[in-house]
Amino acid sequence: MSASLGAPLYVGWQLTNECNLACLHCIEESGPGKALAGELSREEALDVLRRLDEAQVPFLSFSGGEPLLHPGFWDIVASACGRGMHVKVETNGHLLKAEDCARLGSLGVKAVQLSLDGASAGTYERLRMRGRFETVLEAARLLRAAGVPLELNFSPTRFNVHEAGLAIDKAVELGAIGFYTGRTIMAGNAARSRALLEPTEEQYASFFAQVRAKAAEYQGRLRVCCHEMGFLEELKVRVENPAALFILLPDGKVKLINALPFLCGDLRRQGVAEVWKSFLEGWRSPEVRGFIAELERDPSLVGRLHERVECSLS
Amino acid sequence: MKLARFVKFREEKFGGVLFETRSEKVFTLTSTGAAVVKEIAAGGSAEQVVARLKARYQDPSGKLETEAREFIDSLRSQGLLSED
Ligand code: SF4
Repeated sequence: MSASLGAPLYVGWQLTNECNLACLHCIEESGPGKALAGELSREEALDVLRRLDEAQVPFLSFSGGEPLLHPGFWDIVASACGRGMHVKVETNGHLLKAEDCARLGSLGVKAVQLSLDGASAGTYERLRMRGRFETVLEAARLLRAAGVPLELNFSPTRFNVHEAGLAIDKAVELGAIGFYTGRTIMAGNAARSRALLEPTEEQYASFFAQVRAKAAEYQGRLRVCCHEMGFLEELKVRVENPAALFILLPDGKVKLINALPFLCGDLRRQGVAEVWKSFLEGWRSPEVRGFIAELERDPSLVGRLHERVECSLS
Repeated sequence: MKLARFVKFREEKFGGVLFETRSEKVFTLTSTGAAVVKEIAAGGSAEQVVARLKARYQDPSGKLETEAREFIDSLRSQGLLSED
């Protein structure tokens, strides 16, 4: 379907690579002092936003790194909401004060997604270095008190999968509307901590069973989105049917999908329609198809997924 | 009647798309579907939407009216419309 569209429907915008946490599994290798050289300034980001709006992109999610650390975060979110675009903010929640939650509520953001990988401080804090479990719970409560729709995200690892069911119970208790999970991609930081992090297939089987059971228990109260497919299977589906989704990096470059290293344009220099055309061509290119086939033969290539490779387009 | 709070519409060459941003589901629309959605976005009851469509397009057989009513019902049943 994407090939017949005039522009993406969804932009996943990583505003900065800077983060206040330093999680063991971070595919972006974010952390303190990890902002990229040449990240879009507030003014440049507002200009890109204006052009996305002119292209009638209906939905943006702001992530990072930690998006609240971008100096233009509030102006960018206010501008997007003011333009009638639907906005989601994906954050670790540690910087959210009551007044910030109230502001997100009054701006009308459609959802804030917090990462909550576990149902106890022990598991959460083992994965999310510098993170505090209680701080995330407090952020969730503040968001709900401000009337902001809440979603939670859970990255499964060897040492937290057993808490998936309890984490979903916690999501319901906190008043979340959505719970997102799927296999953790072993790229970026996760590639280095693979032995510590990667669940066994038996653990994944039990994890998905817990998630399915809880999804059935809370049907109608909590939307549970769980991608059981491995990322390679997902890539094989995507290459035939790309999602209408840009991954916009902090410096304005656009990636085909987070789980591939390929870039298809630069919104700092190019128009949305031009990058969209390159995006569609990129998915069809022999280079991308070849890389996916090579990944199947050599799973160690997964460590390269967060790299940046320009697609060679016709 | 209007599009539900989490629904965005965009016109495309083939008709249009509705994007339900909460579930992140996309619905593709034919050009007739897109014409109906544009009238819904302009406001009014189902009766008013159908009346405006009939005034705008020729509909001697009543086919457009039938299709528009069925389409509005299906949007409603999928939670893509709100009545306020
Ligand atoms: S909070 Fe998110 S962006 Fe920051 S280090 Fe952790 S996984 Fe990476």
